[in-house]
Amino acid sequence: MKVSYNELQGLCRKAFLGLGFEDGDASDAADMVAWMQLHELDGLEALNRGLDYLLAEQHAQEQAPVQLYADGDLAVLDGQGHSVLRSSSLALELGFAKARARGFSVIKIRRCHNRQLIMGYLARIAGRGMNVTAFWRNAQAPQGDGNGEPPLTEQVVGFRANSSVPEIRVYAVTQVPEENELNDGITLVFANHVNLLPSMRSEFDYDLLARHEESTLLACRERAMLDGIPINDGVWNRLKDLAARILVESTDASRGGAGAGTTDND
Amino acid sequence: MIDRVSPLEESLRLRAPERVMDLERLGSLHPSRLSFVRSLMRQMARQRWQISTTRFDLDDDGHGTAIYRLQTPRGRYHGVIFSQPLPDTARSDRVIAEAWDVTFGVVEGDVDDALLEQMAANVPLQEAGRQHPRLLVLSRANRSLRNFAAFTEALGAGRQPDPQWITRVGYLYRTTAVYGNGKFGIADFDRLRDNPDFQRPFSAQMLGVYLLRHFSIEQIEHIARRQAPATAIGLAASLKRYLGIGNSTGLGMAPFLINHPQLIEQWVESREQALAQISAQQPDEAQRAALMALISRAQRHLEQTVTEDEEQSARNVETAAALPEVRIWLEQVPLTDDLWQELIEWGHRSLSLETQELINTLLLEIYPDIVEPFEDRMGVDERLELTPEMPLVRLKQLIETHYDWALSYDFDDPENRYWFWYRSVEKEEPRLGVRGSEPGADRELKLAIAPRVADTHRVITDYLSDHPRATTVDFLIQHSRHKDIVRRIQTMVETPFGEIRANLWARDMKPMHLLRTKLSFFGASRFDPKSDRWVRITLFQGAPLVEELNAEPEDLRAFDDWSFPLEPSTSHAEDIPTTITTGVVT
Repeated sequence: MKVSYNELQGLCRKAFLGLGFEDGDASDAADMVAWMQLHELDGLEALNRGLDYLLAEQHAQEQAPVQLYADGDLAVLDGQGHSVLRSSSLALELGFAKARARGFSVIKIRRCHNRQLIMGYLARIAGRGMNVTAFWRNAQAPQGDGNGEPPLTEQVVGFRANSSVPEIRVYAVTQVPEENELNDGITLVFANHVNLLPSMRSEFDYDLLARHEESTLLACRERAMLDGIPINDGVWNRLKDLAARILVESTDASRGGAGAGTTDND
Repeated sequence: MIDRVSPLEESLRLRAPERVMDLERLGSLHPSRLSFVRSLMRQMARQRWQISTTRFDLDDDGHGTAIYRLQTPRGRYHGVIFSQPLPDTARSDRVIAEAWDVTFGVVEGDVDDALLEQMAANVPLQEAGRQHPRLLVLSRANRSLRNFAAFTEALGAGRQPDPQWITRVGYLYRTTAVYGNGKFGIADFDRLRDNPDFQRPFSAQMLGVYLLRHFSIEQIEHIARRQAPATAIGLAASLKRYLGIGNSTGLGMAPFLINHPQLIEQWVESREQALAQISAQQPDEAQRAALMALISRAQRHLEQTVTEDEEQSARNVETAAALPEVRIWLEQVPLTDDLWQELIEWGHRSLSLETQELINTLLLEIYPDIVEPFEDRMGVDERLELTPEMPLVRLKQLIETHYDWALSYDFDDPENRYWFWYRSVEKEEPRLGVRGSEPGADRELKLAIAPRVADTHRVITDYLSDHPRATTVDFLIQHSRHKDIVRRIQTMVETPFGEIRANLWARDMKPMHLLRTKLSFFGASRFDPKSDRWVRITLFQGAPLVEELNAEPEDLRAFDDWSFPLEPSTSHAEDIPTTITTGVVT
């Protein structure tokens, strides 16, 4: 099935409200998922993979990121294992505020998942005139260790200020340091006047797994506006079920005052 | 001649937001030269848009398919209308209805057999269908059964219908929803961003309604001719013009006004800036006479406006009764340079809200050169954004300065927290419930801005006592549930006219005022409330006909002069029989 952007964004927002997100978080999360899907980056599939986490954490007491360290240029936050859909927007706003004040800032969010989905909010930050780059690694084991483990992958997403689309690179990395820490964080760099776009040293040992140029992503957007956005019906229906949680059962009293009669043969 | 005033003088002459954004005043607005139906008609005439029939395949009862082609200098569009039998038991104006007399869509580009087949399978289902991404508009309408029967009978018998029927109910069809912007799979509004034909808000939707009006005239003539081929005549041109399209609207319209404050800001500010410019003009005798003639026309229009709603009826009577006094005032005062400003100020002291706003509307009418440039400023790229680095103490000050109205209510008073808004499981229809006695308050739609601002202000004040140097983002990391309202506040304090100043929880709040605010910008007339929560109105009544548009009018000012339409005289209607034309262009 194909849907419109507005339809996708609207349903996601209602689904996040159904999951117990606050209004602002629901809007931000919906924008993040819809942005990914609009640019053919499988936002709905990423959401679908994270939905079970979101359902599990919906009653968690503390859902906002906790600040572990901060100075004028740098902050480290604990995402408390939540999806970036819940935890990242204010961390990004913090980085934006610091870069506005100091010209350059670094934010590290530890312990978060669904990291792909952060791209939609990066686009929003870039749209406000900020260069922003996100970096994260995806797994522990180096490629080819013979244990059937997935390779260590590294993803870099760089937005130029005022650009609506990024440059994206995904690499498989074979040179893994021994003190390799758990890869469940994301590092964000904000700069008023410096572009930080993906670029690799030629002698570095890596495999390019995915590469998205700005022009390719703009073409995706154009295509979606003309033809609609393809979605998976199963995920769509799952979101509709979640969205229905915010609806209120109908009663005779509620039906009575809302509008015209049930028949209007005049 | 018009005298452009400086931006500084214009800003000094702008009415204060606390006056303009008062809900009851917004609920007293009239359709104006800036309304979307008016600006669409001007654009169509100015750019020589042409409308032709490419298919008119209806049976004796008027059921079948009609397709209209719209050619603009830039592109081609089609209005595709499906008319089908509808049992009386299924005819409902509510959004929860599942079948309608006609369903239709406006398509960008051509309609080939495959698209027509897809539309025939889905457009009649409306919300339950999966609509094509080339549809710009999706809508449906139900017949006014009384007018339909009366018109068919009269035309079949060779006489014109009584114009009073149209005065009572100004249309043959009333729409019950006109969808745009991606609903149910149709094109996103973003797709029209670079399309000068339809980049203004709601212009594609208004075109859909205008094409339905043309269809309603062609269809009624067709039915009369099929049912009485020997005696049927066409509808008189004056009656065709007097026919509009109805619309039935309930609470569903209310969330839009709250959820799009930047758009509302554009609409209201454009109107207010035009009015500020006009108030600085030095009128001449011709302009004074033009205003007095318009007042007379508006008075008769109001006297001919029929509503069973006692309150609205009283407001119409009060306004019509005050207008002779306004004419006398205008006749008696000297023609000073400040005449318009004096009129506005005198009106504010002496007249009802509806009369004040009617005078403002009529002032807009006599200065097209000032008003029309604003029609291109009615749209905006909507985005509410945080300013995370803002010192929190500054945010608190901004709330106290710009949202003082929101802090003025006592939300502990049960009267001030009486209603809650929610969406029903029935097609997600927005509804109002009584807090504490109806289910659903736990799933409240957060449309009431004032209590949210007051709550955030209270929490900010507490936080500042321990963190006097905090920034906005420091606060939000600790209190993230306020992110949404802080984002709104920080964006909207830059503008004067986006926030409707009312407590939408209050027991004495009238949702009807919200509906009328939006409908007036659409260009709705004949405002006919059926309760305090739903209303019927008429669009395009008095508007030029398709054949007048196709004739490429020379005098664009005369073409545009169709506000406050009046009932044609019976003799006039009888005297001008027209030929039925169903010429099909292939």
